[in-house]
Amino acid sequence: MANTSEHKEDRKFEQLKELLLADDWADIAALQKEVLEDERFRSKVDPLVDEKIEHLRDNFPVYFGDTITETIKVQIKESQDEVVEALYPIMGKLVKKFIVAEITKLTDSINETIRTKLSFGERIKRFFRGEKAHAGDVYEEVFEAIVEEVFVIEKDSGLLVGSYSRGNIADKDMVSGMLTAIKAFAEDAFSQEGQNLEDIKFETFQLSLMSFKSIYIATATSGAITSDFKEELSEGIGNLADIILRDRTYLNDQERLNALIEKVLIED
Amino acid sequence: MLAKKVLLVGKFGVGKTSLIRRFVENEFSEDYISTIGVRVSAKEIHLEGQEIKLMIWDVAGTKDDEKVPKAYFMGASAAMYVFDLSMEESFLNLTEQLQTVQELSGLKEITVVGNKKDLLTAEALQKIMALTQNQVDLYTSAKENDHVEEAFKALALQSLK
Repeated sequence: MANTSEHKEDRKFEQLKELLLADDWADIAALQKEVLEDERFRSKVDPLVDEKIEHLRDNFPVYFGDTITETIKVQIKESQDEVVEALYPIMGKLVKKFIVAEITKLTDSINETIRTKLSFGERIKRFFRGEKAHAGDVYEEVFEAIVEEVFVIEKDSGLLVGSYSRGNIADKDMVSGMLTAIKAFAEDAFSQEGQNLEDIKFETFQLSLMSFKSIYIATATSGAITSDFKEELSEGIGNLADIILRDRTYLNDQERLNALIEKVLIED
Repeated sequence: MLAKKVLLVGKFGVGKTSLIRRFVENEFSEDYISTIGVRVSAKEIHLEGQEIKLMIWDVAGTKDDEKVPKAYFMGASAAMYVFDLSMEESFLNLTEQLQTVQELSGLKEITVVGNKKDLLTAEALQKIMALTQNQVDLYTSAKENDHVEEAFKALALQSLK
């Protein structure tokens, strides 16, 4: 009995609930439909979006590299003061570190030279030779003059016939040609007849050009170029030209000429 | 390897530098030519069983411009005179121009090249051929890489003579 009355009450309650929540049920059903559709949509679209994001991540520089570079350039150009302010502490430290390292190296070198040059034995020797040690000696010792490059070039054509190189010049033939052109240009523009371009200074290098009958010899030197060194080099170049012009077969044998240059100007 | 100095001569804007660009591997910066009136480029080629390194002197103009040092023309084994087929004034006095290059370089033969062929119709080209009395050895187009290799080969052959 009790069960039947409970069941009735339940049904009534259910009916009341249906009556009261009729509108809400419609809303819930609509919402449920929306959520389910959204999930279905996501399950279809998400892999595509992920794939696209992955592709963009892998190819970001290709698509946006130029734009970003351009934007950064414009930004740097328009905010130079801010950039300098931001970079100064880093750059300043780097420059300072480099200068300190170079000065330390220089100091060590100067100390070593002074220790050798001004040693007791050396001073006694100099005393008996009537010489005095001075700053010039130290300077020459520290910044020793070095022959970096030698080019033996045919005068008119500018063709390279022989060379010596301490460094790594990419195309010596082209350098010889341009050097000849510069020489011809300078002589044509500034010199009076019979005068030659003899010296060119380029940063830490000094280029010297010595002309002979059918060739000219160009040397690039670095370091402290003293008059003694210049004289010695000039004498060496004269000797080299003399040997080449006496035995012209050197002009057609680059390997032999290269060995001769090394022997006369570098080893001796 | 045999090295030869060869000249590339012609008025400003006829396309000498474009021809070189089509042909060479190494070249100096553009700034040089405007400063000193010449630019030296290098190209190694294989011809008649031997390796030749052509040192190409790209000379802007001839002595009549009063800008180019005479020394640029000395010691050359061959020369190519380039003119612009689409610019009448570049080939109107061709004979005189060639004579000047011959006098300055001491060369008897000059390879004559009409460049910018791509800008001309066949009829226009025929007219120029008649006008230049067949003095032209090759018609090139640096833009379309037409006959550029052949022009430099002719120059290299001339340097071996």
